[in-house]
Amino acid sequence: MTKQPFSWRLACVLVLILAAFGGLSAKLFWLHLNPNDALRLKIQKTLKFEHKISVGRGSIMDRNGAVMAADIAVRDVKVDPGKLNAGGHVQYVAEQLARMLDLDLALLLNRLQGRTGNYAPIKRFVPADKADEIRALNLPCVHFDEGSLRNYPGGAMMAHVVGFSNLNGEGSGGVEQRYNSWLRGVEGYRISEKDAHKREIFSRRSLDIPPQEGSDLYLTLDSRVQYYVEKALHEAMEEHHAAGAWAIVQRVRTGEILAMASLPDFDLNHFGKVDPEVHRNRAISFNYEPGSTFKVAVIAAALNEGIITQDEVFDCENGTWHYGGRPLRDYHPYGLLSVQDIIKKSSNIGAAKIALKLGEGKLEKYLRDFGVGRFTGIDLPGEEGGLLYSRARWSKISVTRIAMGHEVAVTAMQMLSLISAIANDGFLMRPYVVGTARDCNGRIIYRAEPEVVARPISQETAAQMRRLMARVTEQGGTGSRAALAEYTVAGKTGSAQKPVPGGYSDSAHMASFVGFIPAENPEISIIVVVDEPQPLHTGGVVAAPVFKKIAEPVMRYLASRPAEWHVVGGASVMEASP
Amino acid sequence: MRNTASLVTGAVLILLTLGIIMLYSASAMAGQEQYQDPQYFFRRQLVWLILSLCAGALLSQINYRIWRRLAVPLALVTMALLALTLIPGIGTTVKGSSRWLRLGPLSLQPSEFAKISMILLMAWWMSRIQRRAREFVRGMLIPSVFLGAMLLLVFLEPDFGTTMLIALVGASMMFVVGVRLSYLLIAGSLGLTAFFFAVMHNAERWRRIIAFLNPEKYEASEAWQLLNARYAFVMGGATGAGLGQSVQKRFYLPEAHTDFIFAIIGEELGLAVSLMVLVLFIMIFIGGLRISVCAPESFGKLTAFGITMMITAQALLNIGVVTGSLPTKGLPLPFISFGGSSLLVSLSMTGILLNIARHSIAPGQEDEKLFRNRKDWA
Repeated sequence: MTKQPFSWRLACVLVLILAAFGGLSAKLFWLHLNPNDALRLKIQKTLKFEHKISVGRGSIMDRNGAVMAADIAVRDVKVDPGKLNAGGHVQYVAEQLARMLDLDLALLLNRLQGRTGNYAPIKRFVPADKADEIRALNLPCVHFDEGSLRNYPGGAMMAHVVGFSNLNGEGSGGVEQRYNSWLRGVEGYRISEKDAHKREIFSRRSLDIPPQEGSDLYLTLDSRVQYYVEKALHEAMEEHHAAGAWAIVQRVRTGEILAMASLPDFDLNHFGKVDPEVHRNRAISFNYEPGSTFKVAVIAAALNEGIITQDEVFDCENGTWHYGGRPLRDYHPYGLLSVQDIIKKSSNIGAAKIALKLGEGKLEKYLRDFGVGRFTGIDLPGEEGGLLYSRARWSKISVTRIAMGHEVAVTAMQMLSLISAIANDGFLMRPYVVGTARDCNGRIIYRAEPEVVARPISQETAAQMRRLMARVTEQGGTGSRAALAEYTVAGKTGSAQKPVPGGYSDSAHMASFVGFIPAENPEISIIVVVDEPQPLHTGGVVAAPVFKKIAEPVMRYLASRPAEWHVVGGASVMEASP
Repeated sequence: MRNTASLVTGAVLILLTLGIIMLYSASAMAGQEQYQDPQYFFRRQLVWLILSLCAGALLSQINYRIWRRLAVPLALVTMALLALTLIPGIGTTVKGSSRWLRLGPLSLQPSEFAKISMILLMAWWMSRIQRRAREFVRGMLIPSVFLGAMLLLVFLEPDFGTTMLIALVGASMMFVVGVRLSYLLIAGSLGLTAFFFAVMHNAERWRRIIAFLNPEKYEASEAWQLLNARYAFVMGGATGAGLGQSVQKRFYLPEAHTDFIFAIIGEELGLAVSLMVLVLFIMIFIGGLRISVCAPESFGKLTAFGITMMITAQALLNIGVVTGSLPTKGLPLPFISFGGSSLLVSLSMTGILLNIARHSIAPGQEDEKLFRNRKDWA
């Protein structure tokens, strides 16, 4: 058919169309093979999807699994004010929100009316069920962000041990702070590509670090024991008009803490509403001069060295003894006292003479072995280490002053550890408050093991000291008010004037009692410190009755515990779940 | 002529196959998003494809000469349907355009049928008057009137793309028959001026033109689609991202399974396949022209030419828009884009074209000399 030429018009059409096809082919080559790296980079940037996967914070339980801290689901309520104003529903929506969220309607209207933009926060941390109620109202332009809020069901219970986490979910005190990294878990991280609706395209995921949920912690503390402690302290605060009071209960064989309280306390759910000073756990962070309770350490050292015997008699100078040009006085004057009675009657002069006989070098060595002036290593933040100057800085009379618990400072935790070492055949244990940590699958990732820090005295000396300390609570001893009907209590009272600039205060005292039960085969040790009791101020009168008030119900409670109680946070998962 | 028919048939079948696969790929996201069913568009298109293939096969068996008698009634029915879409309550309005008529479960797009009606009407008229095509009244005025009437109805929907397409094909048919070039140029200038004013009058259209000229400046608004289509080709590169791997179809590129499906083909299958699509349309074009030239009489010649031009021009305009060579206007890619009416009309036209091919005669045997050099047939 090509023999005859075509009309020129048809040829025109043919050429035009083919030219158009040719042009488009060229354009396709250019588009597909465009070596424009900047454009490719720009497209990839648009597509890039980065996502942090947040995780729930672990819970904190007491040793029996009672929840002390846990996350609860909350919603942040927000609105889109631009759309709301455009739709003309401001009045209605504001009224409903004000009613549901307890907000001031006028303020809310003022904030929303006529505003542009697409984001206005209304209220943070609204409980999830409340948010669901609001959602059910189907209010236009109201949105909810999911979040979580730390909740402390116990309120002020164990406040200083549990601690709190701030609004950003970072632990800021107590176990919440110390174990923040376990509780917080690990945020997941993902790099991928997203579609135009900003959702991830799963097949384009190039990096995926899975999140790790926070672990749960089981404290060694027992809510019931803690309750007895806090109750007794509150009563003492009121009775003696004290500025503060703190107490610790420890298991002597392991060093684990069964209760630790420091008054004044605060509700963990409203930690921001109190003076930050109240956040301080004074049971571990308040250095004070221990007074007579410290004599126990000096006498234990001397007995251990064998330079005295318990029946050796010292002249207590009828109450006043001049040594190194300075007078040393006893609260009650005594003549001759045996070592046993020096403890029982708490003679300053007797203790000073024993310390002198022991010598500066031995005294310092023993005190350091007992952990004085050193952190106990308890797993809580903010611990203080007490204060014991090195021998080079001692004056001539320092030995006599340290012997009666002056010129030396300890924390209640240190003092209790020292006493527990005597109760525990001379082994000084590291105190701890977290017994077990479980990951989000319930697997145990940590179990605290009792840890011996030092052994300052022998088993025989420890046994001898226990007998001597048991006499303190007998009739005529300074600590008779700590005696229990069913158990022998071994202990020591302490009373000290508080140091003020230039000397000691006449009116401010620290009254304390530290001891263990039962004296023959000790289970637990307890320290009670009352800060500035008025008007009574001696350890025997103020602190010993608190000790009794704690020890009595605690011993009864512990006697009724089954064997499982000793394993913090339950045994392994297999055993725990039937 | 059997070879030519096979060539056209083969090209169309390859395009249909590629089309239905790519439609599934490009529409799965949108279907999931809008109807919670990734196969929503695919299944609808499959039903239309089967229907349209039946229609095409049937029409290829019906002697094309009956269309000469049916041309006028068909044109009247089409114009009536076009008018119906403009009546509120009857026409379905989507995105500001009243292009659809609902018939039970089906929605029909009369502007698609206007394409085929215009071709038949023009072929009917021009074959009657072909020897007097140079006269003003018969060759220019009368066809301009009915073409203009049809264009106006389509334009009012409004469907600018189809208006331009029909005008272009109608004019090309008049051109090849031999209407004076001067008449056509004058009419074309007038039409373009009117069209230009209409565009200026419509703010949205105008912005699209401006955005086409400076796409980077309007990236987030008018030029979004244009630029994302360009990104699709760039991302596809020489070899393509792989079938189903398009990112642009994930809501970056609007109309990914309808007017802009060619960009997804480019992105997923690369340069080779997007060029192949062009080549297939060139094959249809060349084959269609051969069928047209070898048709036994002028109605068949003109009908075949009109159909060929309609399919080719629509493909060129669509690809021109998608590659950013032309300002954006809504035209589906024949045989590939989602859309039942479009598919039905494209395959019906192919059926008629193939029937004309069956009646072709050896070169030099024609009773009429249309398309031959004037010296031979004048």
